Amino acid sequence: MAIFGLWIINKAGGLVYQKSFAEGLAQLTSNEQLVLAGTLHGIHAITSRLSPNGSSSGANVIEGETFKMTIFLTVTGTKFVLLTSLTETIAEHILQRIYEAYSDAVMKNPFHTPEMPVRSEGFETRVNAIIGSGQT
Amino acid sequence: MTINSLYIFDRHCICVYYQDWHRTRRPKPASEAGLLPCRTVVAISNELPPPPPSTAGAGVGGLTSTGLAFDEEAKNMVKKISGRDEQFTSYRTSAYRLHLFETLSGYKFVMLTDPKTENMRVQLRRIYEGPFLEFVVRNPLVKMDSREQGIDNENFRAALDRMVRGLPVYA
Repeated sequence: MAIFGLWIINKAGGLVYQKSFAEGLAQLTSNEQLVLAGTLHGIHAITSRLSPNGSSSGANVIEGETFKMTIFLTVTGTKFVLLTSLTETIAEHILQRIYEAYSDAVMKNPFHTPEMPVRSEGFETRVNAIIGSGQT
Repeated sequence: MTINSLYIFDRHCICVYYQDWHRTRRPKPASEAGLLPCRTVVAISNELPPPPPSTAGAGVGGLTSTGLAFDEEAKNMVKKISGRDEQFTSYRTSAYRLHLFETLSGYKFVMLTDPKTENMRVQLRRIYEGPFLEFVVRNPLVKMDSREQGIDNENFRAALDRMVRGLPVYA
């Protein structure tokens, strides 16, 4: 089981934070990652509009053949995305804890501009403490 | 656990077959939305009276469509992230789960189920290997790539229906 990476996407679909942990997926340039974050934002919006029964949230988990993306949408529209192996079971829990760290270390920081890239040492440390090297 | 519906798209992304099982909201007809069938996303969130149980309509004339343009997007995204030739297989929301199986010839089998179901790729593959190959591919009367006519074959429909109703997740 491995955690490959973490993305934070703001409510406009821009990638504001990105970090890779374990190896296993393609090495992407930051530009490619920005594009993919935008794609994910669009897919998420579409999946919430399609539903065979009643209203639906956007995609919570998107699966490929070797990895999955777990998406956690906060009430303010920020998306936390965790790229993990398919067998990872605690992805939701990890995202919840990262959201806590984000609230404490980023949102409560008076020098942080909302919706802008996250550059915070405190947040970095907390993320490393939660995920470590990406092996669980 | 339920199975909501099954769509089959050909390699031009045209919906060639569609069948419903449990569904509380009627999909919006593609023609009514003024859109090309299947190419575009049709919002199924329109409030309409529940459909008669187990309606089935096939082909482009069958007036049903779903969003598969974004499926291409999802596929590209999955491919890029993994860096391998890898398929997008499923996604899950709070209300439903979409499973996708794509054949080498470009046919896409899409199934909507309850969000709690396991991955249905194997079952979709079995639909392809069983009824689809038997009654569609090996049937000389079916025009495979017509772009005008969907799969309108009673044997296929019956075999598929029997197969889906026999699945453990069907309830």
